[in-house]
Amino acid sequence: MMPAGEVKPLVTFWGTRGSISTPGRTTEKYGGNTACVTVRYRETCIILDAGTGIRNLGIELAEECKKAGNQLSLHLFLSHTHWDHIQGLPFFQPVYLKGTKLTIYGSHQKEDFLAAILKGQTDSEYFPVGMATFCAGMSVQEISQEVIHLGEVTIDWQEQVYHPGGSVRYRLHVNGKKIVYATDVELNRMFHPDQGSQAHKALAQDYLDFISNADLLIADGQYTEQEYTSKVGWGHSSIDLLLNTAYQAQVKQLAVFHHDPQHSDTFLDALWMKKRSRYHSAYKKMDVFWAREGLTLAI
Amino acid sequence: MNKDSDKTVHVDGPDNQSPRDKNFGYSTTTELPRKGVIGATPIQQRACLEIIGFGEVNKVIELGEGAVVIGRMPECGIQLSSTNVSRRHARVVFRNEEYHIEDLESTNGTYVNGIKVAKCVLRNNDQIDIGGVKMLFTEQKILDKT
Repeated sequence: MMPAGEVKPLVTFWGTRGSISTPGRTTEKYGGNTACVTVRYRETCIILDAGTGIRNLGIELAEECKKAGNQLSLHLFLSHTHWDHIQGLPFFQPVYLKGTKLTIYGSHQKEDFLAAILKGQTDSEYFPVGMATFCAGMSVQEISQEVIHLGEVTIDWQEQVYHPGGSVRYRLHVNGKKIVYATDVELNRMFHPDQGSQAHKALAQDYLDFISNADLLIADGQYTEQEYTSKVGWGHSSIDLLLNTAYQAQVKQLAVFHHDPQHSDTFLDALWMKKRSRYHSAYKKMDVFWAREGLTLAI
Repeated sequence: MNKDSDKTVHVDGPDNQSPRDKNFGYSTTTELPRKGVIGATPIQQRACLEIIGFGEVNKVIELGEGAVVIGRMPECGIQLSSTNVSRRHARVVFRNEEYHIEDLESTNGTYVNGIKVAKCVLRNNDQIDIGGVKMLFTEQKILDKT
């Protein structure tokens, strides 16, 4: 039991699917919405990615806002701007609420400005309502500073090169805990034994250092080993390699994330049962689970 | 919309065509009692918690739409006698047509399929562990014939 008065950061999965939303009976347990996770601590609300899962988050936040009669202050960190990480933004109710403050953070290493990319998805060719109709006070920041402080949460980040177009991983330090969000990265290339250059080894070591001793690691585990062989260069990791790497880095709890659209609930359940026991019974225990929509953890 | 629109539906069909329609190829409609067409459509959501371990085996509790607290205290909607269960351990609520379980800062935690949760939307066949008491959540949608 937590000491009286202690508040723990809450991590909620709003969308766990990779690549494209996959609604239907066979995905209702792990969820069909694409990437969106929140970390909330006291008054600070941090959103990681704006896939289709952000729509349900928006509904809940709008209800909270109405009940409490206050205004929302939100911080959205984008791993990158592929569709499955931004597509829900125009359906996020708080952007249509006057008084909402939304700051969007993302990589500065894009060929186009981040703001222009986000605006592009609401062009009339794709969407009936332009970003100009958003009532919220919005600002888009291409992150440059090494560390970002938001309330009692500190965030650092690193660029990830092993994904087409690149992506960013984030690490949140909150209440003495470390929560890492590292999706859309091809660990199989990062840790490939043939990649022997010093620069390459440094990238792999950076990754290990970044996730080291994380209380929760939310990480890309899209493919089985067998599937990966036909998806080399697509920018996603195989599950076994992710598990081994996380265990090596002494991660305490691992949420396998960015589920492949072809993976049904039954398939993911079977994978989980097969894989988790090895780490559950290991001397240094690592809790492994497949991230599931509608799940909230207290860290 | 006329006042009978909630009692009748309009159905296309060649058998209902008037002579004029046959000549000019118009489609037409006829009125049928709505109840005869969609009388059994309303859906009722039913959900149960079945206690499957720790001395309370085979007890099935039907969940309603109101919140129910699980704990050791007599006033809990679902009372469990195990000393590993907190006085007020967890709560099941029905919200937006889904059942959710929320831990109430219990001593030993609330687990869904082995994961310690603060909250979780429940899905069919989820296994819940409350202080060592295991429960199976099941739900189904059935036609409301009332």
